[in-house]
Amino acid sequence: MRRAAIAALLVLTLLPWTRPATAQLLVAELSQREVAVTTGFSGAELLVFGTSAGEAAGPGGDVIVTLRGPNAPVVVRRKVRVAGIWLNGPSERFDAAPSFYAVASTRPVEAILPVEERRRLRIGLASLPLSPRGRIEDPTFRQALLELKQDQRLYEEDAEGVQIAADRLFHARLFLPPAVIPGLYRVEILLVRDGRVMAARDLPLTVVRAGTSAEIWHIAREEPLAYGVAAVFLAAFAGWLGSVLFRR
Amino acid sequence: MLVYLPIAEMSVDALLVVGIGLVVGLLSGLFGVGGGFLMTPLLMFIGVPSAVAVATSANQTMGASVSGLIAHWRRGNVDIKMGSVLTAGGLVGSAIGVQLFRLIRQIGQVDLVVAVFYVVVLGIVGGLMVAESARAVLRRRKQVRRRLHEHFWMHGLPLKTRFRQSRLYISVIPPLLIGFGIGLLSAVMGVGGGFVLVPAMIYLLGIPTGVVIGTSLFQVVFVTAAVTVMQAVSTQSVDIILALLLMAGAVAGAQFGAALGSRLRGEETRGLLGLLVLAVAVELAWGLLRRPEQLYTLGPAL
Repeated sequence: MRRAAIAALLVLTLLPWTRPATAQLLVAELSQREVAVTTGFSGAELLVFGTSAGEAAGPGGDVIVTLRGPNAPVVVRRKVRVAGIWLNGPSERFDAAPSFYAVASTRPVEAILPVEERRRLRIGLASLPLSPRGRIEDPTFRQALLELKQDQRLYEEDAEGVQIAADRLFHARLFLPPAVIPGLYRVEILLVRDGRVMAARDLPLTVVRAGTSAEIWHIAREEPLAYGVAAVFLAAFAGWLGSVLFRR
Repeated sequence: MLVYLPIAEMSVDALLVVGIGLVVGLLSGLFGVGGGFLMTPLLMFIGVPSAVAVATSANQTMGASVSGLIAHWRRGNVDIKMGSVLTAGGLVGSAIGVQLFRLIRQIGQVDLVVAVFYVVVLGIVGGLMVAESARAVLRRRKQVRRRLHEHFWMHGLPLKTRFRQSRLYISVIPPLLIGFGIGLLSAVMGVGGGFVLVPAMIYLLGIPTGVVIGTSLFQVVFVTAAVTVMQAVSTQSVDIILALLLMAGAVAGAQFGAALGSRLRGEETRGLLGLLVLAVAVELAWGLLRRPEQLYTLGPAL
């Protein structure tokens, strides 16, 4: 009985100091927890905002916001010239490439965190653990993957993407282009001071197909035969309608 | 206005796509062909993945051909028996073509194979068309008459059948083979194949010009319908939204094209079409030969 009471007291007194302690140093939220890919989808802007408190607040602190999409295996191919014709030659397969990766920070991430920390936390395009599955150890494929993804705005690094007001209120805007794939995304917010992570927050974001485009996609995947037949009838109907509309 | 294409997984400007449909429809109405040979490269040019461009273009061509088929059907210009034989060959060809396409896609050479098919087929057909129409224009001046019907090895083949509406008594093997070839092209290039089928029917089979267009449309409708279903099942790359947008433009364009076409002479139209076909072939050939701006490409792992 007494032991239990002491234990309860211990838990009560320790509670604010253990797990929630770091959480209190950093409070963050997203403008939306769900992004719907509808027929009119032309990309979405996500606002990440929050505040630091206690010992984490004050001048000199940096904030890093990352947004990561689900992994999607990709193949990078290099064109080679064979008999005067350019065709796809050697290729590398990247199994663990994130489909989407964006990082925004108050300063260049290289200036905020040392390289080991960046690699451990996977912060910044240079620290993404992209290793090809093929035998060829050619870093140009990795470089090409980063560049091609950046061209599609699927990988982004914005060294001035996080704004801080009054030394504690911060916000960042991240753009999700139309090419994002649906799935579970993760937003990670890090509060850094003197090369040390003071506090971290992890927030989930779901990208879902919605509306007509979602239904079309599902039917095309799950009922391909019915989908094909429907496409044929739709085309036939459109053709018939055209011949009726323009009959003289 | 941006529209998200669910299968291509990209957003496009709806007006641009309808505009492409309109232009292709205009040309197809003008020349009496489906226009798939222009549609597929144009779609790839605006960034639609080749697989989706090919499969969707077949679907679109089918819709456009239904319009034409109905018009010819009303006038009784369709040889159903000949059309059925061509279709039978076409179905076999397209079934093999779709499997071939899937194989090529797995190897990662879709862009190359589609481009090579286009360059070879369009180069030959365009060259022949231009030469033929140049000869026709010269012949008109010289007033030399061509013999209507010539006998060659083809007429010695077995399985002879009477095609009443085409006023022909020939073996079913040549139309079956022609249908097979068109089916193959249809699956790999996403075209109806009218621009190959029509000359083949006139010059190889000797079908009277009056029933050629209607009968070729008959074959094109059924083969592109089959290609659409098979592509939907095996590569899942038919984009219904894209097809609908294209058809909206194409149906209207075809009407203007047909009105415009009635003002031009037959051989002049054919010559123009030949030049257009050649131009597309040259552009695609150039694309294969010049050094690409991006040496690396990114694709999903299949």
